[in-house]
Amino acid sequence: MKFKRVISSVAATAMLAGCFTGCGKEEGSAGKSADGKIELTLWSISTESDAFHDAYEQAIKDFEASHENVKIVHETFENESYKTKIKSAVAANELPDVFFTWAGGFSQSFVDSGKVLQLDDYYKKYESELSRAAVSNLIYDGKLYGSVMCTPISVMWYNQKLFDDNGIKVPENWTEFKDACQKFIDNGVTPIGTSAKDKWVLAMLHDALTLKSVGPEKLYSVLKKEGGSYSEADFLKSAEAIKELVDMGAFIEGAAGLSNDEASAEFYRGNAAMYFTGSWMSASIRTDAENPSDFGVAPIPVINSSNAKLTDFMGGGSDSLMVAASTEHKDLSAELAFEITKGVSKYGYLSGAGIPAWQVNYDDSEVPELTKQVAKYATGATSFTLWFDTLMESEDAGEYLTFLQKLFVGSLSPKDFQSEMAKQLEK
Amino acid sequence: MDKIRKNKLAIFLFIFPAAVLFIGIIIVPIIMSAIYSFHDWDGITDMKFIGVKNYIELFTSESAGFPKTILNALLLAILSVFIQLPISLALALRISRGIKGERFFMTVFFIPVLISTVVIGQLWLKIYNPRYGILNVALETLGLDSWCHTWLGEQETALMAVFMPTLWQYVGYHMLLMYAGVKSVSPDVIEAAKIDGANGWQVSTRIIIPLLKPVIKICVIFAVTGSLKAFDMIYVLTGGGPDHASEVPSTLMVSMIFGQSRYGFGSAIAVSIIFLCFFFAIVIKRCIKTEEY
Repeated sequence: MKFKRVISSVAATAMLAGCFTGCGKEEGSAGKSADGKIELTLWSISTESDAFHDAYEQAIKDFEASHENVKIVHETFENESYKTKIKSAVAANELPDVFFTWAGGFSQSFVDSGKVLQLDDYYKKYESELSRAAVSNLIYDGKLYGSVMCTPISVMWYNQKLFDDNGIKVPENWTEFKDACQKFIDNGVTPIGTSAKDKWVLAMLHDALTLKSVGPEKLYSVLKKEGGSYSEADFLKSAEAIKELVDMGAFIEGAAGLSNDEASAEFYRGNAAMYFTGSWMSASIRTDAENPSDFGVAPIPVINSSNAKLTDFMGGGSDSLMVAASTEHKDLSAELAFEITKGVSKYGYLSGAGIPAWQVNYDDSEVPELTKQVAKYATGATSFTLWFDTLMESEDAGEYLTFLQKLFVGSLSPKDFQSEMAKQLEK
Repeated sequence: MDKIRKNKLAIFLFIFPAAVLFIGIIIVPIIMSAIYSFHDWDGITDMKFIGVKNYIELFTSESAGFPKTILNALLLAILSVFIQLPISLALALRISRGIKGERFFMTVFFIPVLISTVVIGQLWLKIYNPRYGILNVALETLGLDSWCHTWLGEQETALMAVFMPTLWQYVGYHMLLMYAGVKSVSPDVIEAAKIDGANGWQVSTRIIIPLLKPVIKICVIFAVTGSLKAFDMIYVLTGGGPDHASEVPSTLMVSMIFGQSRYGFGSAIAVSIIFLCFFFAIVIKRCIKTEEY
């Protein structure tokens, strides 16, 4: 019987200890710290290993320097677990003053619940530095609810040397693009490196071609199920485009079995002329390519010029900061959200971690040429549309990627692909 | 001893820790999976009870293709039992007969079991690479260009291409089990057989293999249930693609739960896998009868 008593007392101690530590935490999140400073809590996912960690630290330092009476408590969480944490924090009404979140569908329910502060009035001050296109994914029901730091976009990376050697011009529309591919094939060069095993890589190309055929507004409303149908003719064109490219042998051999790493390695090695993926490739080109100066970047060609422009981009600001409606210091927190995103935009750009969403009004001569080029495209963008798999509900997104792979290996015809997509979106 | 067995508290104390672990880690999650499988749930928002709809979709939905994954898993099970195990048995019999470097060969065959599957997967990815993979390069050197394939990228070859390393990897594992079994056969019996004029083949087939029956039964159960829940190698090599060609139930489950946030549907797959594993384990036990000693 003695045993039992020992066990129960151990258990009781453990429970009490847990209780104490729990209480300790609660105390910390009160509005004011011991030295009379206003304390603001910021949640983000830039853990020590994150590429943006230093950018955050710098931005926070800057803010604290210009606001002497404010102390920022920066709490970081691991990306995947944060998704659950932030959702439960919204549900339990335990949001910090300012928090990291993803724009678009992910934060829709937060805004709907009325727990996020509307920022239109505060935004006026920053309008000249942060374009409305950049924050478009944070506008819900016509009102702004957050601020963004980077705008990753899909672009066409290409090997300038291969284009020059074969006397081919960088294409700007579908006809030019197809001709370029044909010429490369005739000269024995693989035109496009991609991975259909890592489906998102192929989706980067298909997403962009769809955008360039359908146009941003229509694409958005169809994918968000806000009107229109996927069975319209323009949607078929991008699927047919993929099919045509497959049939002419434009993609790297065995793309269905290559991972993104393997396929992009071939591109860096000069075994493929083009690669369609996000702006983040600039960093890898710098480190992995033998001659980084051989590479160039361009917007993805237009299929239907009456619907879309060369400057319409897939991607856009998703990593954002929002302000809790429950914060005690509304003005200060709103300022913090804008200033931190501005700071992270700047320091993240300078360190090569991201494409800035905010205007570059500082010296960026140290930034590599390719990154600068992408940044220029991003700031001059006429529209941003989030990637299919971010924009659509997750179930639809998963099916989309499977359909796309089927289209690629030929088990779905472009027509069937379109009707499957339409069926999925009508569910 | 008897005193302890009669002491209820002692029994409780000794069983309790293991029971807690067993119930908490195995029984409760199985029950919870079963409950989830009757709901439409994305993992975060409220669950919606939908009865057996998940199971109906499981067996009728063409885009999920669950029945085909079961066939793939069964094919793997058949290959394991009829190709992998005989190879293991042959190796075990050969090695245990006391050849030169017995320990060396045992280690060599067992190495793939020790190395992480992800590492082996990476190695096989290189072997299968259409451009510089040793398989295609070898075929080209032999002038068999027409035999070259994008092994993991074509629907016709992907399934076999992922099964090969899966089978190869565990040859050593089953070999070790059988080797231990062969070694435990009393030398007296073998000697007696030899005196009676039995040759090596007869000793193996008439004496050792029958005595190995319990071990073989275990190996068959491991091979079959292992095939039904095969995951890691396939996930590394193809992720179930292209177009579900190499999909097995567990890769489908992962893509449903983590790719599409369909926890309810994924749980239905999980429950089906558990059910199939139990079913085959019991069937095999019934089929291969062994005498209890």
